Amino acid sequence: MDNNNKHPLWENIFRRKDDRITEICRLWSSTPLFKRIPQLYIRRLVKNMHPRFYKTNESIFTTGDIGAGAAIIKSGEINIMAGNNVLANLKAGDFFGEVSLVVDEPRTADAIASTDCELIFFLRTDLEEWVHSSPKQGAQLMANISRVLAGRLRHANDMLTEKNNSSSL
Amino acid sequence: MIKIADKPLLRSLVIFSAFLTAGGICAYLLAPLLIPIILSFALYALFGPLSGYLQRKGFNNSASALLVLLLLVLISIIGISVLFPMLAEQLLILQTKMPKLWESLTVLSDQIRLLLTNYGIKFDTSTITKPVMNMSSEWSKDAVFKVSNLLIDMSVTVVLVPLFTFFLIRDYKQLRNQALDLLPNSSFELGWLIYYRVTKKLEIYIRGIMLQSGIMAIVVSVGFYLTGLESPILLGTIAGLLNLIPYIGPLLAMVPPIIIALGTPVFDPMLITAAVGVIIAAQIIDNVIVVPAVIANAVNLHPITVIVGIIIFGNFFGFIGMIIAIPVLATSNIILTGLRKGLKKDIMA
Repeated sequence: MDNNNKHPLWENIFRRKDDRITEICRLWSSTPLFKRIPQLYIRRLVKNMHPRFYKTNESIFTTGDIGAGAAIIKSGEINIMAGNNVLANLKAGDFFGEVSLVVDEPRTADAIASTDCELIFFLRTDLEEWVHSSPKQGAQLMANISRVLAGRLRHANDMLTEKNNSSSL
Repeated sequence: MIKIADKPLLRSLVIFSAFLTAGGICAYLLAPLLIPIILSFALYALFGPLSGYLQRKGFNNSASALLVLLLLVLISIIGISVLFPMLAEQLLILQTKMPKLWESLTVLSDQIRLLLTNYGIKFDTSTITKPVMNMSSEWSKDAVFKVSNLLIDMSVTVVLVPLFTFFLIRDYKQLRNQALDLLPNSSFELGWLIYYRVTKKLEIYIRGIMLQSGIMAIVVSVGFYLTGLESPILLGTIAGLLNLIPYIGPLLAMVPPIIIALGTPVFDPMLITAAVGVIIAAQIIDNVIVVPAVIANAVNLHPITVIVGIIIFGNFFGFIGMIIAIPVLATSNIILTGLRKGLKKDIMA
């Protein structure tokens, strides 16, 4: 649809101008990272997040990079890869890189845009500033991050156990 | 032909040089405003947590910045109306007593020379005292003029600094985000990471060094007041300011009180001992309590690097250069290391 044909007379003047922020808030709110955190606080945080646009096949990060934070996919798809193996295909609404929110550890896989995509980065700087301004919600977010990381660890353990069991058979 | 892209060290040095050149050009263009800008950033680092606290209590960004501005204006008014006249008065008293002070010092140096001659040591003490006395008499002649010029400069600074600090507290994060979001995708995370490390270190250092300087000024002023030394607040303020310069500052801070204690009309060894004692006690408090609590590990620089840096910066940019030497060196170190590591990884990948 051509946006240039829009007529100001028929525009909905009551619609919030920051629909984009509302949409990003909705994306982050649906992740376990922001469970039990009120919308008002998420909104305040999202306003300072960092949108980035990537072209198909463009590298987002590579193994060994020190990550500065996590990202959520607003549109498009990305592949998480180890060498030439595709470990996961992530779509809009999926998030990744949450380990970098808490530690200065190198990335353990490559992330490559499989289509043109828009990512919203949530950096450690944003997290620390937010924790200072909203300590109670910050503590909840930290607890959520711990749960997500523990879940990932449990999942990796299960996969390893399954792999060991199948190879011993 | 050398390919810069394949040499991480060379590439990081080229990028770092570009940073340095851009910084140099900015500093040159903003030269008349450089001191207010540096002070505003220092105050932003100092009062940032207060603004954060006000925001936690429900004030929005602009309201918290405005409250911090009001506090700064209040501090400036108190500073101008109470501290400046007190310091100017003590400086004038010191200036009127200068001729007598040098007279006493000359007598003392003659006595030392005689004493040394009695022991068969020929040493002309005037080789040390004359240059110091010439320098000091020149300084004392111009002192009032210099102080009045300083007060004019300070008045401009006193107006500009709270204003700059207000805008920094209100808009800094937004401007920073806009600037760093201009980075290309390939260096976006690296840029933020370097920024994060630099600001973490600088915040700790600036808050620590300002707190340390204030504590030293108070401890030394009270100490000199109790020992009965002339112009205790002036000497305490000088000691506090000199303490902003690591390693060399505390040594320089010893000179004025010792000269004043030596120059009393009646030679008083107790006063000299007490003056030295106050400075040593202040240094012990500083090194045992203040430094470990507020600035330990803020900058991981070798002491030799620090001393050489201070001397070079002092030579080019004077007293301000000596103060900013450490933050500039620490920032350069983090940027260069971050770039080298980040670019090395790019090539390995």
